[in-house]
Amino acid sequence: MKQIDSINGQDLREMFAAATTWLEKSVSDIDALNVFPVPDGDTGTNMLLTMRSTIEEAYRAPDRSASAVAQAMAKGALMGARGNSGVILSQIWRGLAQGFVGKGSLTGSDLADALQQSSTMAYKGLSNPVEGTILTVVREAAAAAQAQASNDRNDLISVMEATVRAAKESVANTPTLLPVLREAGVIDAGGQGLYTIMEGALHYLKGETEQIQLRKPMMIASSVPLPVRLPQMAVSEVPYGYCTEFILKGEELDPDKIRLRLDKKGESLIVVGDESTVRVHIHTLDPGNVIHYVTSLGTTHKVSIRNMDEQLHDFVEMQKERLPAADMAIVAVVSGDGLADVFRSLGVAAIVPGGQTMNPSTKDLLLAVESVVSDKVIILPNNKNVVLTAQQVQSLTTKSIEVVPAETIPQGIAALLAFDYEADFETNARIMKESKSNVKTIEITRAVRPVRLGGLDIKRKQAIGFLDGDLVAVSESTTDALNRVLARVNLDEAEVITIYYGADTELPEAEKVSASLREQYPQLQVEVVRGGQPHYNYIVSVE
Amino acid sequence: MTVKIVTDSVADLPLQVVKELGITVVPLNVRFGEKVYRDGIDLTTDEFYDKLARSKVFPVTSVPSPAAFAEAYDKLAKETDEILAIIVSSKLSGTYDVAVQSIGLMKRKCRVEVIDSQTATMAQGFIVMAAAKAARAGANLDELEAIVRRNISRVDFRAAFDTLEYLRRGGRIGRAQAFLGSVLKVNPIITLKDGVVEPAGRTRSRAKAIDHLYNFALSYSNIEEMAVEDTATPEEAEALVERLSSKFPKERIYRSRMTPAIGTHTGPRLLLVAVQGDRG
Repeated sequence: MKQIDSINGQDLREMFAAATTWLEKSVSDIDALNVFPVPDGDTGTNMLLTMRSTIEEAYRAPDRSASAVAQAMAKGALMGARGNSGVILSQIWRGLAQGFVGKGSLTGSDLADALQQSSTMAYKGLSNPVEGTILTVVREAAAAAQAQASNDRNDLISVMEATVRAAKESVANTPTLLPVLREAGVIDAGGQGLYTIMEGALHYLKGETEQIQLRKPMMIASSVPLPVRLPQMAVSEVPYGYCTEFILKGEELDPDKIRLRLDKKGESLIVVGDESTVRVHIHTLDPGNVIHYVTSLGTTHKVSIRNMDEQLHDFVEMQKERLPAADMAIVAVVSGDGLADVFRSLGVAAIVPGGQTMNPSTKDLLLAVESVVSDKVIILPNNKNVVLTAQQVQSLTTKSIEVVPAETIPQGIAALLAFDYEADFETNARIMKESKSNVKTIEITRAVRPVRLGGLDIKRKQAIGFLDGDLVAVSESTTDALNRVLARVNLDEAEVITIYYGADTELPEAEKVSASLREQYPQLQVEVVRGGQPHYNYIVSVE
Repeated sequence: MTVKIVTDSVADLPLQVVKELGITVVPLNVRFGEKVYRDGIDLTTDEFYDKLARSKVFPVTSVPSPAAFAEAYDKLAKETDEILAIIVSSKLSGTYDVAVQSIGLMKRKCRVEVIDSQTATMAQGFIVMAAAKAARAGANLDELEAIVRRNISRVDFRAAFDTLEYLRRGGRIGRAQAFLGSVLKVNPIITLKDGVVEPAGRTRSRAKAIDHLYNFALSYSNIEEMAVEDTATPEEAEALVERLSSKFPKERIYRSRMTPAIGTHTGPRLLLVAVQGDRG
């Protein structure tokens, strides 16, 4: 195995120049990931621009010692930092530079120690550090570097390998730490960017210049499965305001004090630097106010004020190109958290709570329709009593609406599965409507009052079973009622049975039903899913 | 002089077709742990799926070395002065870049053009076959390029997966990411669009997924080539060929196995129908 014991400043510069080339190849992929703190789709670009400035300055270092080159790089990063992730990246360089002070060349343990400082510096620049971001990635990567450096194999390559490996795992985990990532179905963009830089540096150390030339960085896959959803623009109607960035130059500047003063003036505040140069990044509704304050402290340079709501719009457009059928969205009426998960995991953009006992209003449906990015919306009422309400929505919106009149949950799911990613809106509405005939619905509930229905005398609280809306079974137990309804369906021709058990039903009961079904019909694929729905003990689909 | 055609192992071309049409296939590499195999050469498809099912380490693929392409080009350059390489989608593999850069490493002088097929499997294979046939009939390199570009939009495939886990792990999930994380067990149907993995449909059972493949073939008004490929379920593939024979002569349907380089990213239960023709 190849080993490198130490590198000098020139190698350090070349290593990160190579890493910048590597990063450049995945800039657009990283841009597309960007949802936090603002989905403006520029993380990759910002990190690249920051790295370019870092490397340019590295060539102006007074000598070739690691210390001098790292100092120059830190200066370049601070001057050229762009965006949230760029500024945090500049802190990482600053930490490295501090760690390398006085060193002509670097060993594996020097690198590990300096990375530790980078992690500390990265957290320091923020008044409110958030986990599941580039911060977590640099912290966990630094810890892995430390661990490797205290090992027998502590040459530079081994330490860097451990760092890259830990960074990769850390990035894959970001969606578990930051809900906004999980909801958007992405990993953290800044974390991916940092990982890519480290990976590029490792390629250089290992002498894999051909890799850098020929290959492209892989985007890290999340450690948890993620559904793809568009940023819900209309949901958060709070404007994002202006991304305001500048460099403040003066004497005896106090970054901590500035951070404190600006803290209330906006979001995503980062203040980094020293007593002569301070870089500020803030998302604010009133950039004038911020600038006004800081000009009293010194001179401002490289002022950049960008309208983020405009950027968000561009980002949404970019996402539409990358995602399937982004011009169409599906809104579904569902009750029960388990069932809501089922619908969401199949690509529904918005869920309106409601069902048998709680019919949503036209306004509820309208709000959901307006909340999705798409202009063409398919509504799945999933209940007989909601179909008509859903059909009113078209008259209240400029969006195009199609109501697929699913009258039960299984019909709604069958319609969702029939959705054709290649077909247009009208065709999809048609094939979703046609899917109704492929599924039979069984619903089991308890009678709320005594009634005579379909020639059957039903006492209060007796279990009753419906097959496609018709009452066909009465029993004392819900499980027995289900078995009775199942007996009326020709299961020889069925392939898949899905049992969604309700909020008032226990899993073992549902599993008894599925076990006996599997025994009688070994060819059947039987699935038991927690629906969590109120009112119905069981909702069952037979396909 | 006849233009020579080069492709990579992802085209899934049956050996007999390769021989008959004089196509040069450059293999990708498949690595299990420390052991590297040349796709389809050092490791047969059967051995691979057997290993895939039993091995604790997951295989990874890597692009052919620039030297592998340069050698292939140089060897052909003894017989021709024009070479056309038709390569797996550059969005899925770096093979295209290697095929282009290798030109600079050639020892002999010969014009080489490289085209991104924007697809994979026998869909790519059909483009290669059509080019090889036209080359034999005397088409020059410029004419062949035009033929290839036209055929890129005329080939397509649908593949039925049991799981997208392998695609996800390999980082090639593309827009089919939308199919991940389903609470219900679903059988995803995948295709490639502009070279990127694209979701085509979902069913609740394997049988319905195979129906989807069948209906895809039926949606064509004119079929010139058809192939049915599997990874490790030959009986299913044979049954599908039987069904499709009502639409297209059975003896003209190519039966192919997915090459290990693809299997690495799809897993062992993949069934695929590829068509060249006109839809609608």
